[in-house]
Amino acid sequence: MKKEEKKEYVNKKGLRLDGRKVDETRPIKITAGVLKNAKGSCYLEWGINKVLVSVQGPREVLPKHMANPLKAIVKFTYRMAAFSVPDRKNPRPGRRDIEISKVCGEALEKAILLEKYPNTQIEVWAQVLDSNAGSRVAVLTAASVALADAGIPMKDLVTAVAVGRADGKIIVDLNKEEEDAPDAVDMPIAMMTNSQEIVLLQMDGLFSKKEWEEAYEMSLKALEDVKKHQINALKQQFKEPIETKTTEKKEDNQVFSKSLSKNSPSDETKKEKHSSEKKVVKTEEKEIKSEVQ
Amino acid sequence: MKKIVAPGEVVTEQRKKMGDNVYSLNGKIYSEVIGITDNESTMASVVALKGFYMPKQNDIVIGLVVSELFSGFLVDIGAFHWSFMSKEGIREPLKRGSVVSVKVLRVNELNEADLAEPRVFYGGEIEKISPVKVPRMIGKNGSMLEVLRRGTNCNLIIGRNGRIWAKGGNTELLFKAIKIIEEEAHLPNLTNKVTEFLSKQKR
Repeated sequence: MKKEEKKEYVNKKGLRLDGRKVDETRPIKITAGVLKNAKGSCYLEWGINKVLVSVQGPREVLPKHMANPLKAIVKFTYRMAAFSVPDRKNPRPGRRDIEISKVCGEALEKAILLEKYPNTQIEVWAQVLDSNAGSRVAVLTAASVALADAGIPMKDLVTAVAVGRADGKIIVDLNKEEEDAPDAVDMPIAMMTNSQEIVLLQMDGLFSKKEWEEAYEMSLKALEDVKKHQINALKQQFKEPIETKTTEKKEDNQVFSKSLSKNSPSDETKKEKHSSEKKVVKTEEKEIKSEVQ
Repeated sequence: MKKIVAPGEVVTEQRKKMGDNVYSLNGKIYSEVIGITDNESTMASVVALKGFYMPKQNDIVIGLVVSELFSGFLVDIGAFHWSFMSKEGIREPLKRGSVVSVKVLRVNELNEADLAEPRVFYGGEIEKISPVKVPRMIGKNGSMLEVLRRGTNCNLIIGRNGRIWAKGGNTELLFKAIKIIEEEAHLPNLTNKVTEFLSKQKR
């Protein structure tokens, strides 16, 4: 019998099995507001993971005895589709589904300003359509975008990423192959990055103190990257952002004022940078001269 | 300069008076919702682009009578709970299924509203928009409302809860204009754009 070749999880060039660097996440694509009938929704693709999250509420609590007269309650439902894993998954919610629903709901509770809506419930449904390790961080990331899309006030977006170890190397955002490494450690971490408040931290395996510190530092970088994707997804819904429009207007005004001030030397240096502006100024100069003549 | 901010994004690092939808942390002011903020304003606040209806005293809203009780009616005004309206002093012939415009009499600490002064609508059509875009629908001193009324000849009532009742005139054109307002509520010069759209369609 042949001996199985030992996998090299991080090669000499510092690249992983799928060609990523150790601190690189899988490609992320987030789209907010995909479902018309939900208050807020989000579709997220994180590598092979595909997640659809919808939000309803705040609305009346049912059953009524669960209502809290001091704040809203969050009901988080995490479910994996029967076709989301290579073998068929029993669609009945199992131990894992219930656990992830609980921890993700509690993580989001920390970010949402629940005190504003007493006696109500906010329902979040997360459906995993395709999974390849790290589905809970994908769900949590998508859920916070869906909540923001619903207009629910939050202190910050909850951003999540997994860090871990494979073959003695600390890596960010493990895929299934890396998660199955003999010495693998998987640590999903969710955080509100403004206050650096950790809202979810689980660990499968054991880290040494040094490894933990390294992993934590790497996760902070990755979280910033993921948060940019979240914010972009939220802003993309609104066509023609106002920021660019107003700046364009200001530029136009600057060009006009330049033409009136008859080219001061400092203006000329600026013009070299913007050749398009230069042309506009020249044409306006000609017009002014012709008017004078 | 106006810009769009997401929840948790910095609105300003300066010391400013705090307005709606913001909170402060470590000397910076952050946004709570996705919305628009104006850097040049003396007050740090965010105008929400997404949201839901929170009843306030004296709001005029459009609701649906969902149930009749011994002493009053339950009306769905799009808030978190159905609201109660007492039968006392009501002359209108209300029943389950009536569409009414009502005034919010009072709101308690649980955001439950009591209603009064119903006016029943007979006929007409109802369109829903996001409640955060209602101020844009009305415009400054009702300018947008006037444009819509003149452009479509519709009899028009806008509820604060985002429900619009319209009867008579060109309601199809009105709803097209409403869609434009809803999609571009965050952009400047909207009244001019809608006026232009309505005049083009009229031809």
